[in-house]
Amino acid sequence: MSLPPYLVVAFALFCIGLYGVLTRRNAIGLLLSVELMANAVNINFVAFARFHGGHAGQVFALFAIALTVAEVVVGLALVMLLYRTRKDILVDEASDLKH
Amino acid sequence: MMEHLAFVVVAVALIVSALRVVTSKNLVHSVLWLGVTLASTAVMYLVLEAPFLAGVQILLYTGGVVTLMIFGVMLTRRVDPRTVVNEQSRRLPGAATAILTFLVLVAAALATDDLPAGGLHAPDTETLGRSFLTEHVMAFEVLSLLLLAAMVGAIVLARRRDYGTGKEKA
Amino acid sequence: MPEPAHLALIALLAPIAAAVIIGVVPPLRRAGKPAIAVSIAAVLASLAASVVLFVMYVDHPVGTVELAAWLPGSGTVLAEVGLRLDGISISMLVVVTLVAACVQIFSIGYMSDETPPALGRYFGFHSLFVFAMNLLVVAPNLLQLFVGWELVGLSSYLLIGFYYRKPSAARAAVKAFWVTKFGDMGLLIALLVLYGQTGDFSWDVSLSIGWATVITLLLFLAVMGKSAQFPLHVWLPDAMEGPTPVSALLHAATMVAAGVYLVVRADPLFSQAPFTQGVMAWVGGFTALFAAVIAVVQTDIKRVLAYSTCSQLGYMVCALGAGSLMGGFFHLTTHAFFKALLFLAAGSVIHAVHSNELSDMGGLWSRMKLTTTVFIVGALALAGFPLLSGFFSKDLILEAVFERGFVVPWAFLMIAAFLTAFYMGRVVFLTFFGKPSAAAEHAHEGGLSMKLPLVILAIGSVVVGYGGVALARVYRTDYHFHVGAVGIGATLLAFAGIGFAALVYWKKSVTPSALALFSPVGKLARSALVDRLYVALFQHGLLLFSGAVGFIDRYLVDGVMNLIGWLAIHAGRRLRVIQTGNVQHYVYAVVAATLFLVIWGLWS
Repeated sequence: MSLPPYLVVAFALFCIGLYGVLTRRNAIGLLLSVELMANAVNINFVAFARFHGGHAGQVFALFAIALTVAEVVVGLALVMLLYRTRKDILVDEASDLKH
Repeated sequence: MMEHLAFVVVAVALIVSALRVVTSKNLVHSVLWLGVTLASTAVMYLVLEAPFLAGVQILLYTGGVVTLMIFGVMLTRRVDPRTVVNEQSRRLPGAATAILTFLVLVAAALATDDLPAGGLHAPDTETLGRSFLTEHVMAFEVLSLLLLAAMVGAIVLARRRDYGTGKEKA
Repeated sequence: MPEPAHLALIALLAPIAAAVIIGVVPPLRRAGKPAIAVSIAAVLASLAASVVLFVMYVDHPVGTVELAAWLPGSGTVLAEVGLRLDGISISMLVVVTLVAACVQIFSIGYMSDETPPALGRYFGFHSLFVFAMNLLVVAPNLLQLFVGWELVGLSSYLLIGFYYRKPSAARAAVKAFWVTKFGDMGLLIALLVLYGQTGDFSWDVSLSIGWATVITLLLFLAVMGKSAQFPLHVWLPDAMEGPTPVSALLHAATMVAAGVYLVVRADPLFSQAPFTQGVMAWVGGFTALFAAVIAVVQTDIKRVLAYSTCSQLGYMVCALGAGSLMGGFFHLTTHAFFKALLFLAAGSVIHAVHSNELSDMGGLWSRMKLTTTVFIVGALALAGFPLLSGFFSKDLILEAVFERGFVVPWAFLMIAAFLTAFYMGRVVFLTFFGKPSAAAEHAHEGGLSMKLPLVILAIGSVVVGYGGVALARVYRTDYHFHVGAVGIGATLLAFAGIGFAALVYWKKSVTPSALALFSPVGKLARSALVDRLYVALFQHGLLLFSGAVGFIDRYLVDGVMNLIGWLAIHAGRRLRVIQTGNVQHYVYAVVAATLFLVIWGLWS
């Protein structure tokens, strides 16, 4: 096995997540897509770790996992707040901070 | 050989489930499909000789994040059960951008000269643990602080305003 | 044997000492008579010193005596204060001091009606003028000459505006100052250019023909101003607002001659610029004719003489343009005598009839015999009557101009000669002959103080013409008087002019048709056309220029500033729309930017 196929898979996952971020109207849907992107990145790190040697890649991936979890937590809290205020969580309607 | 097969299976699972995540009309379905994706990722880690990571992935992501997401979905139900539809007008530019990004990334990867070829083995869990407490101890500590901050922040953000003394009505 | 430098210093410093004493000691000035005494003593001392200097040293010039270093430069001296004593300056000193002395003595009687403080002021200014003129005459370089030049202009302003309570006099003084100042700009710029080219202010330098032309043209501008050449002549008629002795001294004999003197002095420069000389010949010739034509229709006796002076200065300038230094300076000398004489005699007449207008005169022959006689002598000398001084100097000019090939200017000069004789004849016949007017009935001569200078100047008007040979030695030219075709022609024209004037104004037989020719001239002269042109040019021109500058400031300069502000506002207004508030739009932006960077990175 070589590296590139893993990278391609990671890229594909990343881009699918990007599609979701750009397209989803529901805030939670958006967060799910963000998760996909984060995971793609992690796969990338671990793949490099496997082929490059050393433990830096996996360390990085672990840190990334922890960070992403924290980000999900805060994100969900914000979504709660948004729901409480507006009674729905559609991101394209929550555009009060415009010009 | 085994690796190849495993890789292909996992890759297919990943892609398919990811696609379902972003295209499901039902949000709960999306969350469940995310669970599948995360689990597939864990298997991918196993293929990539990172067992510890795979375990962490299952614990945190497939267990924790998915649960959180389900809670979130249930707590933010719309009054009318009309599901959220992605309009056509949003799908096309999104798809185009995604495909473009994919192509650029692949091109970048192909253009790179010195991708490592491998042959070396991934580290074992003990090395990983040691490095956390020696080489990366600072980052480790900071990370714990960050997690604390995230917890406190989430609680503050999402609490009901009329808790306790009754100040700050929502 | 007194040192020439000491003599020159006496000539120079006596008048300024007098002026300072009169200025600094108010009781002296206010008392009147003591101030007169001081001033006249000073000018006589100056005259004595100049005469002694002339007699002893005119044939062997002394050269330059440096008195003090003035502007220290780096290492060398930029300019020095000094005395240049050669034949030219020494003879000029005599002329200036002699005429000044005559005028001051005449003023004792003429100005006797003034209050003592006014008298003190008058004589103080006179002394100042004599000093300034002498300073100009003995200047060894153009810088000192410039100082004398400006001081002379100042004295002129003070003396023209002597009757300062009279608005017309005040205006005339300012006008004289302004117009000559315009010319003085030329002198100043010439000094700067000369310094830039040679590092010195001396005229004894050789330059390229281009630079010589530039500098001499600028100097000629100053000459035009000071010596009232067209079109900067407009101040001279108005300068007649000053007391008549002042007109005699400054605006006939000496100050206006300073321009001619400058050209004579700076001849090393002018010789290197034939173009300028050509310009001078034409301007001088034209002025001579132009002023003579206007003089014919004047009704104020002083104005006739003023335009006549203007015309005669044109002769001198034309001579200098033709390269005849001798001609210009000779005529300057003779003109000083007979013009001063004419003015003082006119002053005598004015004093008698209490008016300047020719219509208030007439038949004064029987009542003022001396004045009539000397006036006629002066008039004949001016007209170029044979054997009088003007005859010799005018003849020399006419021949020189003709020989140099300036035919048209020469023709102007010849016509002007006819007109000169004519208008002087007119004045003589209208003033001294015919029926007296009411004012003229009670006319009588002035006192001794007024008669003596007239006699002296009359003698000078006759005699100085014979000094031509002596003068020629100074100029190292070959001068011998001969009767040529030009001379005969000019003399005939003079006779014709006098005769014609007699026919028109005495016998009164030719009146209507002759003068019809000149009525448009009269109209033109009265319309002060040149003055109005100046107003239009400078006033409206300046306002136009200001308007243009204002426009540039308001619309261009301010416009740029306003444009920048407007751009900021409108750019901001357009760019605001990027803030849609929709998070997904922002994500698009980030993705786009990242892709761009990556592609760019891959490409290069």
